[in-house]
Amino acid sequence: MGKEIPAEKSLNLIRGRLCHPSFIFRPLSASSDSNYSKLKFIVSTSIMEGCNNSILLLGPRGSGKAAVLDLVVGDLLEQFPDSVSVIRLNGLLHSDDNCAFKEIARQLCMEHHLLFSKMASFDENSHFIIAMLRECGLAHKTIIFVLDEFDMFAQGKQRLLYSLLDAMQSVTSQAVVIGISSRLDADQLLEKRVRSRFSHRKILFLPPSRDELDGLLEHLLSLPADSSFPSGYVSRFNDKIKNITSDRRFKDILKTFFNAHSTVNSFLKFIFCAVSLMNLESGLLSLENFKAALSSMQRQPKLEAVRDCSVLELYLLVCMRRLEVKEQSSYNFISVMKEYKAIHDSFQTSDYYAQNVCIRGFEHLRERQVICYAENRGQSQTGEYRPMKLLISASELHQGMRSHACCPAILLKLLDH
Amino acid sequence: MPPKEESSKVTRRSTRSSASVTVENSEPTESHTPTIDDLTFGEESITIDAVLSNFPGRRSQIFDFIRLMGPLDCPTLPIMIYGGASTGKTSVVLQVLRHLNRPFVYSSCRTCYNPRILFESILNQLLLHRKCSLNGYSSAKRCDKPSDFVNLLREALSSVIKTLESTSGTSRSDKPDEKPMGKMVYLILDNVDLIRDWDKGTIILQFLFSLYTVLKMPQLGIILISGLPPDVYYSNMGYTDPIPLYFPEYSEEDLRQIFLRNQPNRKLYSAFLDVVLKPFCRVTRRVEELSTTFSLLFRKFCEPLDDLGISPNEDMKRRLYSHLKPLIAHCLNEIFRVSSHPHDGETRGERRQKASYSSENREELEILDFHMSTSAKFLLLSAFLASRNPATLDASMFDSTGGMDNRKRKRKASEKSMEKKEIAEQEAVMKGPGSFPLERLLAIFQCIASVGDSSFGEEDEEEENTTGYDKENNNLMSDILLQVSSLCDANFLIKSGSCPLEGSIRYRSMVSEDLAQKVAKSLSFPLSKYLYRR
Repeated sequence: MGKEIPAEKSLNLIRGRLCHPSFIFRPLSASSDSNYSKLKFIVSTSIMEGCNNSILLLGPRGSGKAAVLDLVVGDLLEQFPDSVSVIRLNGLLHSDDNCAFKEIARQLCMEHHLLFSKMASFDENSHFIIAMLRECGLAHKTIIFVLDEFDMFAQGKQRLLYSLLDAMQSVTSQAVVIGISSRLDADQLLEKRVRSRFSHRKILFLPPSRDELDGLLEHLLSLPADSSFPSGYVSRFNDKIKNITSDRRFKDILKTFFNAHSTVNSFLKFIFCAVSLMNLESGLLSLENFKAALSSMQRQPKLEAVRDCSVLELYLLVCMRRLEVKEQSSYNFISVMKEYKAIHDSFQTSDYYAQNVCIRGFEHLRERQVICYAENRGQSQTGEYRPMKLLISASELHQGMRSHACCPAILLKLLDH
Repeated sequence: MPPKEESSKVTRRSTRSSASVTVENSEPTESHTPTIDDLTFGEESITIDAVLSNFPGRRSQIFDFIRLMGPLDCPTLPIMIYGGASTGKTSVVLQVLRHLNRPFVYSSCRTCYNPRILFESILNQLLLHRKCSLNGYSSAKRCDKPSDFVNLLREALSSVIKTLESTSGTSRSDKPDEKPMGKMVYLILDNVDLIRDWDKGTIILQFLFSLYTVLKMPQLGIILISGLPPDVYYSNMGYTDPIPLYFPEYSEEDLRQIFLRNQPNRKLYSAFLDVVLKPFCRVTRRVEELSTTFSLLFRKFCEPLDDLGISPNEDMKRRLYSHLKPLIAHCLNEIFRVSSHPHDGETRGERRQKASYSSENREELEILDFHMSTSAKFLLLSAFLASRNPATLDASMFDSTGGMDNRKRKRKASEKSMEKKEIAEQEAVMKGPGSFPLERLLAIFQCIASVGDSSFGEEDEEEENTTGYDKENNNLMSDILLQVSSLCDANFLIKSGSCPLEGSIRYRSMVSEDLAQKVAKSLSFPLSKYLYRR
């Protein structure tokens, strides 16, 4: 393929950075009191002194816990090449004890070039793991267990946690258990016997400050001045970025964004959307890209659903709303039909359709999750008699109808009464 | 311990019949072993203009999607495309990937209805394994747990990416003007909203949303297509949501463009759409529902024309409109009903159409369009009456005089009793049809059948088995019970909960009043006399 145009190359580069977590979190972890340094200190001390340890990393989803941990693990693997091995487990996949032990055994086998048998039973796997722990301890090798989605492991009988933490109590084993969870009370979920063996070290991941994020933005979007780009292009691109970030409107955009989203991951998604809208001919970002990205992240799905409704479906929604206003606590299809007929009789609307047509309108509304059945247990009744409820509020309905392409004026009048 | 490989052959039990029949092992036709090229769309690649013209009204969504995919080999975060039914999500995605000529793996959660089939389908495509008679139609690897899936997916993806990297290095001399395939593979999962109804569906959904972070492979792009907006997937656990892309319903202008495509005579059809599109769009804007009605109506529209190739002038247009207008109002009420009678000029169909022409008001066709035996019809009516009438009125309703006494209350009802009546009516509507025990049903049936018999003598054209019925009435009790169970199967009756004191089963009638009226009319049974109206 011929030469790529520089716009495409820069797009590839920036998007590659956005999808690569360690690039993003390294500058955030540069200071000495960051979570990265704390974690690294704890783990490296336990490796060097040959003792056991357990830590929990807590923070909302998308705040970079796994990314920072990967950075730490990567650095430690470079620092102590032969004395560290890593076992990774995920609570979504391995919450079942059988699965978890099989996975640990499989990863241990892969590390140490042993043959793994898929037919091994649970007991065999657990004996194998304990034996490996002892051997590694005698060889002064530390095993780091990374337990992602830690709260999923704390469901049920917590056998895996107990056996791991129990094995660490024996003198010969050297292991560090690092749990990652987005539930801030993950350690409260542990059983008494597990909690007693757990050292209550917790590292909290808080949302980054505005300065850190500004620095991150610049770090992400500035192109390196190496030879693969045409030289004038790099300087033009970086100047444009500087112009945008110092613009007051851009700061307003960022402020609106941070009112709703506080984690690093959502910020990265925002930058991703903005960068994807880059004009490929000029190869430069502009303020409009960021504005468009912000509006695409501020979706209102119920509003979109109402705007997608046909006129008949709007009638049905208005009838349901009127029944609610009349303080009828529960209503079903037949009562909505009665209200529909009453509206037609009093206002002589042109949109009066037969019952089978209205039932299909109801089904469409139900598929779009604008209405639903009020209770699940009335399965023995046909759909016409089951009580229903609205899933959107009155103001959303108002707003949706006002922005609808062809909503009849009478409906808005009926809604206000 | 030596590793034991899981054999992928299916061991079949040999039954007596299969052992006796020698399988004719004819030479298998040269089955096509899939190569890496099969991961792309396969057909002729198309230009962006062709894609845009194939999908009128989707211009901005197509461009947004192409921008999110990015140029060749550009890593991407997971994308979720959502929108209503028949808005073109799947076709746009597939056609854009055909235009970009990038390798992808497509799986729909509608055809792969449980996790195991879904995982195995994805793995089969990545491992370039095709199910054929040689391997006993089995998958390449057995996988039903997400943990196994992640490991196997990682292996399969690495081998595919290695192949892609080696082929991208060498220039492809046979198709020089084709776009390069690049080094990324895209995973497309369709109908993701159906996973919610699966067993353990929430865990699977959670897993799919975090697949990108778990795998940590930047060469994989994930595209999820969902019929429901992303906010229905929010759960207690939270997840990093994918980038959304919304496909709104078509506007009227877009629908006009869509229907005008592939029409032999565009001017004629556009004149047709001028009169038809606006009223029907008020009911529904979905393409699949409108297209069935429009094809029917267009046939009616073109009836007075001898030559379908002409473009109409104003006078002809007015003539055609006036011909079509009476039918539109009727069709609006029938829009969702697909008629079981073919309208290819069959005489019976035409007769029915003429009947509807004459009735200008919107009356339902009074003919029952399925066949039921007389006793089943009477049972249906008695079930309907048993559900609608309170049990205490049975004695007065079904006495020898037949029908309710027209004892109208001459007193003006007080306001309080009117209110009570309204509340009682509301409650009755909310509760739905009442339930009744089997004995009550049979008692009402016996009363009605004897009444119905007496009115049979007057109209003696319709039914065949009129006179012999009365004599055989006493011997038909077992037959009646059989009819009850077949009515249950046809969902006209359902079994509701049994009474805790007596333990007898109670039934509930699910028949609408329209259908009951139709059945009563076909039997010439005065249903309204027996119906209790509050």
